[in-house]
Amino acid sequence: MPTRRRLLQGAATAALSIALTLTLSPEAARAQANDILLTLIAPLSGGWARQGDLMKKGADLAVEDINAAGGVKLPGGNAKIRLIVADAGDTAEKAKNAAQRVLADNPNLTGGTGAWLSSFTLAITEVTERADVPWLTLSFADTITGRGFKNVFQTSATAGAMAGMTLDMVLELAKSATGETPKKSGFLADNTAAPTGFLKPLRDELLKAKGIEVVVDEIFTPPLADATPPVQRVRSTRPDMLFVYPTATPDVKAVLEKLKEFNLDRGRLPLIGNGAQFGTPEILNLVGKDLLEGFMFTIANWGVKGQEELINRFKQKTGEPWMTQDSISTYADMLVFKMAIEKAGSADKMKVAQALREIDTTDGVAKLYAGGRLKFDDKGRRVGASLYTIQWQGGEPKAVFPPTAAQAQPIWPKR
Amino acid sequence: MKRARVSDLAIIVESFFQAAVAGILVGCIYGLMCCGLSLIFGIMRVINFAQGEFLMLGMYFAFYLVTGFGLVAFLGPIYGPFLAALLAGPVLFVFGYLLHQYLVGRVTGVNVIGAEAEGHYAQLILTLGLSLVLANGGLILFGSVPQVIRTPLSSTAWLIGPLLGDYVEIFINQARAYSALVSILVAVGLFQFMARSSLGKSLLAAADNPEAASYMGIDVDRAHRLAFAIGTGITAVAGGLVATYYPFQPYVGIDFVIIMYAGVVLGGIGSVAGAFLGGFVIGVVQQVSTMVLPIQLQNTAIFVVFLIVVMFRPHGLFGRSAERT
Repeated sequence: MPTRRRLLQGAATAALSIALTLTLSPEAARAQANDILLTLIAPLSGGWARQGDLMKKGADLAVEDINAAGGVKLPGGNAKIRLIVADAGDTAEKAKNAAQRVLADNPNLTGGTGAWLSSFTLAITEVTERADVPWLTLSFADTITGRGFKNVFQTSATAGAMAGMTLDMVLELAKSATGETPKKSGFLADNTAAPTGFLKPLRDELLKAKGIEVVVDEIFTPPLADATPPVQRVRSTRPDMLFVYPTATPDVKAVLEKLKEFNLDRGRLPLIGNGAQFGTPEILNLVGKDLLEGFMFTIANWGVKGQEELINRFKQKTGEPWMTQDSISTYADMLVFKMAIEKAGSADKMKVAQALREIDTTDGVAKLYAGGRLKFDDKGRRVGASLYTIQWQGGEPKAVFPPTAAQAQPIWPKR
Repeated sequence: MKRARVSDLAIIVESFFQAAVAGILVGCIYGLMCCGLSLIFGIMRVINFAQGEFLMLGMYFAFYLVTGFGLVAFLGPIYGPFLAALLAGPVLFVFGYLLHQYLVGRVTGVNVIGAEAEGHYAQLILTLGLSLVLANGGLILFGSVPQVIRTPLSSTAWLIGPLLGDYVEIFINQARAYSALVSILVAVGLFQFMARSSLGKSLLAAADNPEAASYMGIDVDRAHRLAFAIGTGITAVAGGLVATYYPFQPYVGIDFVIIMYAGVVLGGIGSVAGAFLGGFVIGVVQQVSTMVLPIQLQNTAIFVVFLIVVMFRPHGLFGRSAERT
């Protein structure tokens, strides 16, 4: 008759044996050793955690798709991708620490992507560049690829380039809707890196060149305790259009609500934004469909016409109502790494970086980036990087420009 | 020409009144937040890093009360969110009471009489740890998606005017106005409780001098626990009010905690009414300073005023200049 102690001993021995078998199984160990390591460093805690969550969802789906299709084809046999996810936190310092940890723990790292906020990406790439790890990023700031780094590849158009493209699109839309172009414009933005980079060329040269006067220029430090003072100035100066660029969700809500409160909403003042924060699913819940109706924003990437199969699969898998730039970009980044590794015939980081420099295609994964071409110039900026214009219509953000990607017709508000 | 001058003047007048109204409304809510901290920091002298997280818990409690129990559907968009904010108070009161009993009480009150730095080092480490646990626990429990208590009041305003002919119109945001009103009522109730009830007086006595209070028959530990719990509850009510117009996530506390401390010190350490006034002044300065300074510097303006006040009145606007007995 076994005693209770014996039974417990037996159970413990069995559990230990199973654990050891699983841990030390040669096949499992070989599979782990052959895995190609890619990293996603994104804010998963702090105020930008939601953006990191959306990035992770896109990257996870891509890794699942790649591995389900047999993995990455290499001369020695196919290899699976293993994604290492690290939290960039809520400061550039934490983001940099995350990069240092990932690199120290994974000397065989092939490459990585991240980290949403330009200031985080600037900090992370200081670390990855020294380790020769190729880095893909959607962050916009011009400085990311303006430092002479060799292994940083910017898939978005830079903030400065986006400003020019946004202005051209806005003027074209305004003219086709009203027959004339706006004469007075205004800015209401925060002072973080992306808005600063986006508004500077508009303020310094682009608007002047088109003969448009800047009548209100309100820049605030987030978070905005109350949007009354800046919106009051917009109300006093009455621009023909307003570039709105808060990066934090509470500030987006505060500004849009204050514009409504001051009777400047829904067509009385065309609003143009830039960035992913205007298209996240939760902004609809926080701000409401009515306040968002007609609001336009330009963005480096988005789930657009022609990508319905991917978008539907993403929606089904994640429960998200649409595919934002954060998800589609990390999805595409994983596919780009697959392409580069296969081209290099190796998961060696330096060979992969070289392959990334040499890629030039308009097929396959290239179609998942605005502009549709995958080639990086000597600074690491994507050649032909364009943007999409998204407009809130009927409670959904729809691509309205360029026409090839448009899911709906653009509406320019008429006074 | 004359019309253009009148118009320019009207814009200045309108902007000033608009900023002043915004400052008064924001200031009342800041004032209530500062009252909560004042009980914990100003009176009990516990440097509480987790104060922002108490505010965050109040926001989430009010939010789930509205969305989970349908308070808005039941009471309408005016009473529902504000009742939820008020109900957050008693719940967080219990939370604060238990927190003090099992954690904070070990490093405050009679337990630290004669200890190095009156137990402040231990309090700092404990409340910092608590802050991290609550914020990260909130992230696991509530997720990273920002939430807000949706009410149409947050984007609707009462209009005063036109004044000065047809030139000046003043908008008063309804969500903030109701929040400010509730803040004033709760703060006045707290002042009355502290000044008139024997329990309120015993809290002050136990905080002022725990040793002497215990000689007078006051249960100092219980008094500290109650003061901590009331401070937590008041902060939670302020959180619930803020949640009616400000989207929040588990890390929202950091947006407000510095303002709370500045308000308590500005108003005068040891005075609950002073803390309310300190928060109120901060709100007004923050908004009205935008008339003369770029908006980017509105928080700098707060600390310039703070430094000026502290320079001339080191104990704050309502602080007691005499040393504690």
